[in-house]
Amino acid sequence: MAQTNNATLVRREIITRLSKLYAEGRLEDIDRIPLEMAPRYGDSNSSRCCVHKTRAIIRYRIMALLGYNVADETDELESLYSYAVRSLSGADRGNGVLTVVDEACTSCVKSNYTVSNICRGCLAAHCMVTCPKDAITMVNGQAKINPDKCVNCGLCQKVCPYHAIIYVPIPCEESCPVKAIYRNEHGIEEIDYDKCIHCGKCMVACPFGAIMYRSQLIHVLHRILNDDKPVVAMLAPAVCGQFKANYKTVTKAVLEMGFSDVFEVAAGAVMTAKHEAEELAERLESGSQYMTTSCCPAWVEMAEKHLPQLKPSVSDTWSPMRYTAALAREKYPDATLVFIGPCVAKQAEAMKYEGVDFVMTFEELGSMMVALNVDLQNIEPEPENEVLHERVFAGSAGVMDSVGNYYHGPALKPLVINGLDKKNIASLRRIATGKHDYNMIEVMACEGGCLSGPGSISTPDVARKLFNTQAGVTIEQVAEV
Amino acid sequence: MRINTLKRFTLTLFNQDMEKKVELEICLGTLCFIMGGSAFEMISESLPEDLMGKVLVKGMNCPGYCNMPKYGRAPFVKVNGELIAEANIQKVIAKMREEVYHGANK
Ligand code: FES
Repeated sequence: MAQTNNATLVRREIITRLSKLYAEGRLEDIDRIPLEMAPRYGDSNSSRCCVHKTRAIIRYRIMALLGYNVADETDELESLYSYAVRSLSGADRGNGVLTVVDEACTSCVKSNYTVSNICRGCLAAHCMVTCPKDAITMVNGQAKINPDKCVNCGLCQKVCPYHAIIYVPIPCEESCPVKAIYRNEHGIEEIDYDKCIHCGKCMVACPFGAIMYRSQLIHVLHRILNDDKPVVAMLAPAVCGQFKANYKTVTKAVLEMGFSDVFEVAAGAVMTAKHEAEELAERLESGSQYMTTSCCPAWVEMAEKHLPQLKPSVSDTWSPMRYTAALAREKYPDATLVFIGPCVAKQAEAMKYEGVDFVMTFEELGSMMVALNVDLQNIEPEPENEVLHERVFAGSAGVMDSVGNYYHGPALKPLVINGLDKKNIASLRRIATGKHDYNMIEVMACEGGCLSGPGSISTPDVARKLFNTQAGVTIEQVAEV
Repeated sequence: MRINTLKRFTLTLFNQDMEKKVELEICLGTLCFIMGGSAFEMISESLPEDLMGKVLVKGMNCPGYCNMPKYGRAPFVKVNGELIAEANIQKVIAKMREEVYHGANK
């Protein structure tokens, strides 16, 4: 779920500055951004040791926004401008959507267990005796854990009679539902792309903003400003909860930014719902026990990488993004198609299949609007008379609801998995055993659905409120069962 | 004659009521909105009990502060006309309380 904290805001400021420079034809000034954002005698309201470190971190953030994996840096002296030029010339993109800004990631504890001041340095020293790795010693009358030896087993905490040993969570690791992020030998987090499902939860969780998605924004800007081919925006249904403006009004702003046309992804969602309803009936009639949805790309990756038993149950129906891209391609055969949504995983989906050229987040859309001097407050609000019911795809249970509208077959026994957290993953493992009578299962990686996506502009409660007042359809909060 | 008195009566009541309210203006510019201003969408749900009914929430068009570093950073709001930079709900509630208990709205 998106948050508006300082880490998010720094990212948005950089996106805005970068877009502005590009739009003004001053991309060669890109190397000045870190200096401008962290002036030598600026305010000292920083969580870093010194201005140079702050600048270095901004530099790596910009690299991610230019589309690079920060770990791919080979020459620390290569200018950002040179990176930008290389990125625009279409250098190979490599693996993964999320990347760790390692300079920013140094502040978490090395070992999850720490001895607090409560420690009396008791004679019994249960902790020392129990530790299987000899990681604990007594220093100045208190126990001390050597993080190089500690394996985070937690036994010391259990045996301490004073409860003096505390568990310090590492937010990114804690939030990752598939254990794809881990500390390397330098204590810096690394992402295992064979495991990563691109859900973006670590990015939202890290209090230092050390995890970023690799943006495609510069490519989109380049196409808008320098290419004669049409650039078409496809707006995900959650767009109705992003700004203080309805879909039609946002569309006007997007056109003003220079996109040639806008397609509503809810139109693709209609096709998804219809096909998925047909597919479900067919599958159930030919003996399958249940089917799971396919529109959440993080869920599809999850099934592929971590729950192979469930993989066959994932619907073969295309996601709304892919259907919408097909509609857009029909009208504009040579256009650049840009999907704009709240999702990080959509980028991975777009790379997997033909059809969508670039993926942007709503926060990038908002920042780009600011950079291009398009302000929604100046755009005449446009009333909407008819809206597509399938806008409800933006919330958990929305897909189920829409599929249900088109479904004709054996009685529907629906289950909605609202968010891929540890508890729900355990439920999915139980589902894989087949001991249940659900026949249609919707899975959303984000709790609350796309409205809570990591690339949203506002927090889930604000997004839901805006959506429900502007979309013409409403999304209820899914109750815990 | 009777009607006149009645009119004056309701009018004064109305004015008294207006006087008690703290005016909160929220910038509606896109920059403020994306830089955290969107949180103010929840302001009416977030008001503490003692401020309920005492706040008049309004929108304002971008006054241009976002382009002038000397005013600080977005999002901007005004409480009784006084500018608050880097505004968030907690900060604004504190300021409104001050107005209600010690300031113009006492
Ligand atoms: S957008 Fe709020 S002051 Fe300009």
